[in-house]
Amino acid sequence: MIVNIEQDAEVLLTQTAIVTEHTLYAEQVYKIGGFPITNSLLNTWLAVLAVAVFGLYFRTKIKLIPRGVQNFLEAVVEALLDVFDSVTGSRAKTFKFFPFIFSFFVFILINNWLGLLPGIGSIGQVVAENGEKLFIPFFRGGTADLNTTFALAVIGVAASHIFGITAVGGWNYFNKFINLKVLFEMPKKIFKEPAVLIVNPIKFFVGLLEIISELAKIASLSFRLFGNIFAGEVLVAATAAILAYGLPIPFMFLEVMVGAIQALIFAMLILTYLTMMTAAEEH
Amino acid sequence: MESLIKTFHLDWRLFLAQVVNFAIVFGVLYWFAFKPLAKVMAERSGKIAKSLDDAKKVEEKLAETEKDYNRQMAEAKKQANLILEKAAREADSRKAGMVARAKEEIGQIINQEKEKMQAEKRETLKEIKKETAELVILTVEKILGEKVDAKKDKEMIKKIIR
Repeated sequence: MIVNIEQDAEVLLTQTAIVTEHTLYAEQVYKIGGFPITNSLLNTWLAVLAVAVFGLYFRTKIKLIPRGVQNFLEAVVEALLDVFDSVTGSRAKTFKFFPFIFSFFVFILINNWLGLLPGIGSIGQVVAENGEKLFIPFFRGGTADLNTTFALAVIGVAASHIFGITAVGGWNYFNKFINLKVLFEMPKKIFKEPAVLIVNPIKFFVGLLEIISELAKIASLSFRLFGNIFAGEVLVAATAAILAYGLPIPFMFLEVMVGAIQALIFAMLILTYLTMMTAAEEH
Repeated sequence: MESLIKTFHLDWRLFLAQVVNFAIVFGVLYWFAFKPLAKVMAERSGKIAKSLDDAKKVEEKLAETEKDYNRQMAEAKKQANLILEKAAREADSRKAGMVARAKEEIGQIINQEKEKMQAEKRETLKEIKKETAELVILTVEKILGEKVDAKKDKEMIKKIIR
């Protein structure tokens, strides 16, 4: 029996009810030469555009005597510098990492909040798929896609390693994970303090664990952000489904806060990793 | 791992696209916002520090000037006092000199007057004597009724007067 899928889809589009489902992944909206453009990617581009426009506008507005936007941004920067100081322990280090960390904060914050705008997640097209009519929104929060959060986490952790190598040197960096140093010093110390026979293998093993913990960092960072934002969108959509008038408002406020908090947490964690990796070997 | 990629639709192209997105955001923020902002903020801090420093310097200078002024004033006062004292002393000595001269002059005048008076007295006495002599001559002539010759007469008169 031959089934014409095209025809089948046409029939489906006119007959069955539209399914709106919150998928764990960002849906593909369009495809250019094999490159999938998902609704989350579109949203991220919007965020990038917003930042770029703001940057170009702000550049001309920077004056020695601050005014308006510059005043506000300077206050934010000063406040963040103080917060970062409490992590890095020195203003020089804070200054070195600040643009990077601040970019994380801004990028995630704008993406989080952009996902909350009305119309995002609710305007879309209906597509026939697997015998069902599927509603695919044009836009979806950029950070509600694991690709985005995973990319951010990888960038952050990778940067912490690059900074780490330049700060403590390749050999020291290598010994953080595969601790040959403690193995080499065993024969020298063995007669003075026999305890190294037990302690140093443990230290070596701890170094191996560090490798796993680096992978765990990426996983925890990406899934935390993705989970929070995705859950938030589902939550708002669910409350809207129960009663669209008024009921989602408190949850929207909650999501605004969650968006800001998650952006800050992500940035602060990256900063902590940077500080940890650039610090000299701890004892 | 396979199911993870399938569940979340992980795609290296999307991953790369997001990396590029973040790179753009970082670049824009770094070149257009953070760098000029940090420069301006540092410049401002420098300017404020400099003006505070300048203000301190000005204050120091002012204090110095005031000290200088006070010192000069004190000196001027001292000198003024000296001058006053000197003037007073000079005035005193001049006064004494003038008094002395005045006394001298007065003394001279008195002496002159005294001499004048004595001269006048002598003259008067002389005149009185003369007139008395004439009167006596007249009287005697009248009493005697006639004139004694001049020679006798004069002798007589002289006797009488003496």
